[in-house]
Amino acid sequence: MGMNDEHADLAGYVAGELSPREAQAVEAHLATCVECRTEVESLNEMREFLGALPPEALLEGPPEGGDLLLQRTLRQVRSEARSSAGRSRFVAVAAAVVVVAAALGGGVLVGRSGSSGAAPEAGAGQQPPAPATSSAVPGTKVVTGSGSGTRLTASIVPAAGWVRVEASVSGIPAGQKCRLVVVGKNGDREIAGGWLVSEKASREGAKLYGSALVAPADVASVVVENTDGHEFVQANA
Amino acid sequence: MAGLRTRHRQEVADEALVRSLFEEHGKAMLAYATRLLGDRSAAEDVVQEALVRAWRNPESLVNGKGSVRGWLLTVVRNLVIDKVRARDARPAEVAESPTTVAVERDHSDQVVDSMVVLSALDGLSSEHREVLEQMYLHGRTVTEAAEKLGIPPGTVKSRSYYGLRALRELFGNQRAEGVA
Repeated sequence: MGMNDEHADLAGYVAGELSPREAQAVEAHLATCVECRTEVESLNEMREFLGALPPEALLEGPPEGGDLLLQRTLRQVRSEARSSAGRSRFVAVAAAVVVVAAALGGGVLVGRSGSSGAAPEAGAGQQPPAPATSSAVPGTKVVTGSGSGTRLTASIVPAAGWVRVEASVSGIPAGQKCRLVVVGKNGDREIAGGWLVSEKASREGAKLYGSALVAPADVASVVVENTDGHEFVQANA
Repeated sequence: MAGLRTRHRQEVADEALVRSLFEEHGKAMLAYATRLLGDRSAAEDVVQEALVRAWRNPESLVNGKGSVRGWLLTVVRNLVIDKVRARDARPAEVAESPTTVAVERDHSDQVVDSMVVLSALDGLSSEHREVLEQMYLHGRTVTEAAEKLGIPPGTVKSRSYYGLRALRELFGNQRAEGVA
C-alpha cells in the first residue's frame, strides 16, 4: 500500500504503536484525507470483530474429561436416528461429514450414492475453512502407492469396527469419475467415496475423506479406480 | 441395497459426524458455554444439544454462514441465552434481569460478523493469523506479540497491518457468499 505509507504511518497507528505526538500527526492527516480515513476505519472494524470473538473460539481439540458427554450425545443421536430413519438423511449427513472433516482442494465427496446415483452435494464451491485432520489417532496406518503417473497416499484411521480413510490422490486426468475403494483381506470391496476429477485436482491433486465398513485389521489395500472399473493406483496396507 | 446395510451405513455416518465435530470443536464449545453459564454441567447440556442440532441440520454445516465452528459457537450462544432466560424467568416473570441483558446485548449482527471473521481467519497465511491472534484476540501490544512469536517488532507491525487488510478482503468475500 505505497500510497498510504506516503501519507502517514497507518500501520503503526492501527497497531496502536505510535507515540502521542506521532498519533496526533496521523490524526491530523486523517482529518484531511478521505482515502486514509476510510482505510483506517475499515481496518478498525476488522479489529473490533476480532476483539468480539470469544477467546475460546481458538481452542482446538476435544474437551478434557468429555468422554461421558460424547457418549451421551451419541446415544441421543442414535435413538433419534432410529425413530427417523431415511436415506435422504444419510446423503446430507455424509455431505456434512465431508465438509466438516475436510474441505480443502477440489470437489470431494464421500459415501456410496446407493441406488440413485445422486452424489451428495458437498458444495464444492462453498467450503467452510478446513479444520485439521485427525492425524493423531493411535493405530493410524499410512499407505502409499503409485502407478503410471498416479500417486496415492492414504491414512487409514481405525474406528470401532470400521475405518476412516484420508487420501491424497494426484495424477489422474480431469474428467475421470473416480472411486476410493477399501479392499478387505477377504476380497470385499467397500466404496469409501467417489468424486469427479476437476482440472484443479488433476493438476494439484485432491484430498479425499471417506469411511468404509471394514475392520481396521482387515484392510488389505486402498484403491482408486474409475466407474468403469479401471484401476489407477493401489496402496497396500 | 439391503435395508440393514443402509441402516448400518447411516449409523456410521451419524457417528462419524458427531465424533468429528466433538473432536475438533468440543473444547471450544464447552469452554465457551462454561464461561457464559458459570456451570460445567449446564454447559455440557448445551454442548450436547448443539451437537445434536448440528447432526439434525447437516445442511447448515455445509451452507452455513461462516465457519463450522462459527455456526456451532453461535448455536451454543443461543442455547445459553435460552437457558439464562428460562432461569431468570423462574423467580419473577417481570422485566429482563441484568444477566439476560449482558448475554444478549452483543447477540446481534456483530456476533455473526465475528463468526464470519473466525472463518476468514482460517484463510490467512499462518504468519498473518498468528500476529492478529496475538494482538487483537489476546490483546497483546506489538512488543509483547513480537516477544511471544520470536520475531522483530517491525515485522509484527507490518504483518498486523497487511494481515488486517487480507482479513478484510476474505471477510468481504465470505460475507457476500453467506448472504447469497
